[in-house]
Amino acid sequence: MILPEAGELLAPVMAIEGFRLGCLVDGSTGMVLASVQGQDAPAPPTAAAGAADVVHVLTLLNGKLATGEILEDVMITFSDSFFMIRPVDRDTEPRILLLVVADRHRTNLALAHRSIRELCASFPA
Amino acid sequence: MSQISRRARVRQLADSVWPGRTVNGYANLIAARLRKLAEEGSTGMLPVSGHGDGAIFFRGGQVVYAESSRTALPGPRATGLDVFGLLPGEAPLADGEGHADETGLVPVRRASRLVGILEITELIIDALTELLSSESRYARFRPAEVLPVGQGRPIAVETLLTEVQRRHEVLRQLAVVVSPDTVVACDPSLDLPSAQISPTQWALLVRAGGATTPRGLATQLGRSVFGTTIEVYRLIELGLLVVPGRMAAAADGQDPGRPAAAMSFIRAVSGGRGSDG
Repeated sequence: MILPEAGELLAPVMAIEGFRLGCLVDGSTGMVLASVQGQDAPAPPTAAAGAADVVHVLTLLNGKLATGEILEDVMITFSDSFFMIRPVDRDTEPRILLLVVADRHRTNLALAHRSIRELCASFPA
Repeated sequence: MSQISRRARVRQLADSVWPGRTVNGYANLIAARLRKLAEEGSTGMLPVSGHGDGAIFFRGGQVVYAESSRTALPGPRATGLDVFGLLPGEAPLADGEGHADETGLVPVRRASRLVGILEITELIIDALTELLSSESRYARFRPAEVLPVGQGRPIAVETLLTEVQRRHEVLRQLAVVVSPDTVVACDPSLDLPSAQISPTQWALLVRAGGATTPRGLATQLGRSVFGTTIEVYRLIELGLLVVPGRMAAAADGQDPGRPAAAMSFIRAVSGGRGSDG
């Protein structure tokens, strides 16, 4: 783990029903800062790289549209899992991203979304 | 008689002598040396020379600090106290940070501390990415009980090597469009599109001027060369920076200075070819 200090910050996401993976990712470089894994977790480097790529594309879209909006979060639904990505700080420059992967059949998406939002709000970046 | 090339034969011999040690580049030799120092739980400094000089500092077999003459230095904040959540009292206070206590130290909020630690760690990994390039060679390891770099940031060698390999792969992808040493510029003749950019990108744009390189910008701003190269690539994608040599392509109907192939972090972790720089 690059930043072991960041691991403790991820503890709350492990309480999400159906939790599989939680990662803090440096969105600017795609580097995994810390991760916690549950059952059937996907590989953190691959999942984190995918999350950084998604945010990169959306930031490019936002940059081209130039509407002054800020990316709040990204929810991706696969047949068996949810990928939820949220910049930790609400800034025009999302430096640290939180990625949570959860089992789609066991997770209440609204509750998971709320947990992630609250966790990110508790990061006073 | 076997028709294998001399190079292939040398590679086979090298592999047979020391599995994992190949003749593909000096970076692999440095990686092997770092692994050995980790196994031995070494404390001291490994000087590295080549394209740029630098050194890698170990404590108890973990890398605690690295610096290269071709990347920005972490500065006084990297000397240790901040790693444990405290900044030296003379450090400038950010909004919302506390005041120095009787020890002259300032308690720092958790997340800002995390961002601060990330910035320091990023510069250390940036230096390692440079030092583990194919042109680098290591010198004799110098054991020492006390390191001149304070507490530093202990990171496992394998974790670092994996990250450096990923970065080399990303840089290899970016090289089609821009490298840390590619000259880029704001071209005033371009009809710049309206775009929304981040404060970091703005800081790069206002300094890009006539001609500069991502490495030059990173040094000016005290930021990571790797991160700055990616941001410059993004500004090229947005059409706000150009690579001057590629301007001529516009006459052929091609998009001048725009990326030929998209950078992908996921390809960097799934399709890496080794840390050969």
